[in-house]
Amino acid sequence: MTDATAPDGTRGRGAGGARGHGAEPEGLPDYVRGGRDGLGEAELAELERTWQSPPGFLAWFTHVNHTNIGRRFIITSLVFFALAGLLALAMRLQLAQPLNDVLGPEAYNQVMTVHGTAMMFLFAIPAMEGAAIYLAPLMVGARDMAFPRLNAFGYYVYLIGGTVFFLSLPFGLAPDAGWFNYVPLSSKEFSAGYGIDVWTTMITFIEVSALTAAVELIVTILKLRAPGMSLDRMPIFVWAVLVMSFMILFAMPSVIVASALLMMDRLVDTAFFDAALGGSPLLWQHLFWFFGHPEVYIILVPALGIVTSIVVTFTRRSVFGYAALVLAIVGIGMVSFGLWVHHMYTTGLPLMGRSFFMAASAMIAIPSGVQVYCWIATMWGARVRFATPMLFVLGFFAIFIAGGLTGVMVASVPFDRQVHDSYFVVAHFHYVLVGGSVFPLLAGLYYWFPKATGRMMSERAGRWSCGLVFVGFNLAFFPMHQLGLEGMPRRVYTYLPETGWTLLNQLATAGSAILALGFAITLANAALSLRRGAPAGDDPWDGPTLEWATTSPPLNCNFARQAVVQSGNPVWDRRRAEVSAHVGGLRTDRRETIVTTVLDARPHAVQVLPGPTPWPFVSALVASAAFLGLIFTPWAYVLGFFAAFVTFVLWFWPRRPWRED
Amino acid sequence: MEHRIEVDAAELSRFAPHDHPLWWGILGAVAIEAAVVANLLTSYFYLAAQAEAWPPDGVDPPALLWPTLVLFVLPLSSLTMWWAGKGSDAGRRRQLALGVTASVGLASLALVFRSIQIAEFDIRWDEHAYGSILWAVTGFHYTHVVSAIVGTAVVAVLAWRGYFTPERQLGVVVDTLYWYFVAGVFLPIYLVLYWAPRLL
Repeated sequence: MTDATAPDGTRGRGAGGARGHGAEPEGLPDYVRGGRDGLGEAELAELERTWQSPPGFLAWFTHVNHTNIGRRFIITSLVFFALAGLLALAMRLQLAQPLNDVLGPEAYNQVMTVHGTAMMFLFAIPAMEGAAIYLAPLMVGARDMAFPRLNAFGYYVYLIGGTVFFLSLPFGLAPDAGWFNYVPLSSKEFSAGYGIDVWTTMITFIEVSALTAAVELIVTILKLRAPGMSLDRMPIFVWAVLVMSFMILFAMPSVIVASALLMMDRLVDTAFFDAALGGSPLLWQHLFWFFGHPEVYIILVPALGIVTSIVVTFTRRSVFGYAALVLAIVGIGMVSFGLWVHHMYTTGLPLMGRSFFMAASAMIAIPSGVQVYCWIATMWGARVRFATPMLFVLGFFAIFIAGGLTGVMVASVPFDRQVHDSYFVVAHFHYVLVGGSVFPLLAGLYYWFPKATGRMMSERAGRWSCGLVFVGFNLAFFPMHQLGLEGMPRRVYTYLPETGWTLLNQLATAGSAILALGFAITLANAALSLRRGAPAGDDPWDGPTLEWATTSPPLNCNFARQAVVQSGNPVWDRRRAEVSAHVGGLRTDRRETIVTTVLDARPHAVQVLPGPTPWPFVSALVASAAFLGLIFTPWAYVLGFFAAFVTFVLWFWPRRPWRED
Repeated sequence: MEHRIEVDAAELSRFAPHDHPLWWGILGAVAIEAAVVANLLTSYFYLAAQAEAWPPDGVDPPALLWPTLVLFVLPLSSLTMWWAGKGSDAGRRRQLALGVTASVGLASLALVFRSIQIAEFDIRWDEHAYGSILWAVTGFHYTHVVSAIVGTAVVAVLAWRGYFTPERQLGVVVDTLYWYFVAGVFLPIYLVLYWAPRLL
């Protein structure tokens, strides 16, 4: 069946200023006029009503569409990024002079701990999850994620947990034992008060949200792909998200166990980490780093996917070495579980153990190298468009490779024992994390902002921002290598004038100011472009993957008709052949998306998805209360268990009319 | 641009209880919990390897009788779950309702055995790291049995009210999957908590 009469649907939604979510009550919104993908106007209008997230403040708590939830994850994580960034500025201000008194030692410890913890748990992971939640369903051509309500639940858990964690700072209850919270410093004997309890309970709680996102991304990617999108046609970004999700699945339980054991040590006097009673402080380090090292790659892997997407689009070429890239990403995911002990070289390990983990740590350079060469080969001889997303990607190359080089250095035991706990390590991991995740995230922000809002961001401001971030970052963190080699320990709140570290610290502080200015420009750019940006149209960058096949911002239902794909670059195919293939026969009066087989994506069923509901929010509130209670009494565990159970029953209870066919 | 319909979804199943995305989701939850168990049991061996004596001197390993009984009761409850699922597939509502109710009953019996056995532990959680990990692993599994019981009790209520049909039985299928996990994971826990201190 063909329908050649339909218009080709290149009209963007942002152009008319039509906001996709909930603004249109009855009459036909602009963007459904004339239908789309061969679907008629009236049917598309009904489909859009079915998938609408209801407007209004109270209704906000019932939204379940992945575009709404993904956007919230990203915005919330950027707020935490800004707050944790301000804390970093406070630390740099304190260190600008020897014996400075901007922050006292207690305040400095709290600020440092909250900065590190928030950047890792409240910014980096949720930002990547948010990008994945927003983009992965669009890229695989699904109408929504497999478990929309769980998605909403995960968001509220993150929002509440993150807010409580941050509020501990103004209330003076903030944790102060560093982001990895080592025992015995964090045990009750040396850290009385509630600070560490806030850390253990809230981190455990927020990881629940990471785990729900991971399960949901895995199932969405494996089961809801558009027909024809076999695994070897999946965009690299989606592969990266899949690997990230599996890593979360197997890494997060370890930190949950660790913090649960510490919680019990502090709350009911168990002795897991108490050496006097047969416990072992090193057990904490093993459990924490068995999570903590994969964590770094959980942040990095999706960033690699973002980089690949951008390199492909801005060179207008299929990626070089698709299979090698996928294997490299999977390889990084696997090897990252085998090198946690390189954080513990100074704890007195047997020689054999040290050698093993030294080799494993160096080995990760191999798949990383494969990727870099694939990107270089993709760009080789191509006419690269140097727009802002591509500029941030180039910044990523420079900074991440520098961080990778120091990584190979600290992977070696003798060198590591020299610089352990010094500013060299601070420099190294900021190069890897900021280079490896913040640069790609900003690149992704400039790249996908038009898709999410229907408006372009300013190129001019983007270039300024990119330049300032790059210069500011290097000025802030490069001197720290030297400071570390000169012996400046990390986490000290001040230093003496005789040490001779003043100049390098002042350079770093100046750099951090420039870096902050660069970030502020992007923030302002995004805020202003939301209203004033040039209309983007469906596909401003000429991208190859399915998110560019729908309107900007995406329809409530994502796609008027789901696509059937024949290659890894469906949108390019479509344009070349002047033909687009679709799925027909899905109902428009309820939320339906097609289910396909795991390997070949042959269609085999249809999933009926739930609409807006307040229960995930209620469940998240109850679970939050239970976790907060755990700071004070173990009985919160029992109470919270049954209270949460009641809300889950209400959440899942079948409601009439049952979904009869 | 020409638009073609190449896949017609009108005739595809809207139910598919045995291959539904939720089935895969529960598998994900099982993977997470299995990882938690693996972490706990690894911690057990790590603490044991660091200790001078395991269990500490003067402490007996936990008695074998009650946990061994649980080792048989839990698989038996899985059998009744399986039987209930067979009934559900064939549209025999009574068999389904009886089966899930029997499973809830058997698992509750297992909880009673577990409670007796916990009361008999020779050490408290705050006396030694051995006691801490023993209580923690036991408590973790206990919580899982409780959650499997209360979840399945809801399924049983719906079953007695005749909600499930051979198509609309996703709830039964995923609940059964989780049940198998809770019953199955007791085996490694049993071997580690009750046999490892005797054999190490």
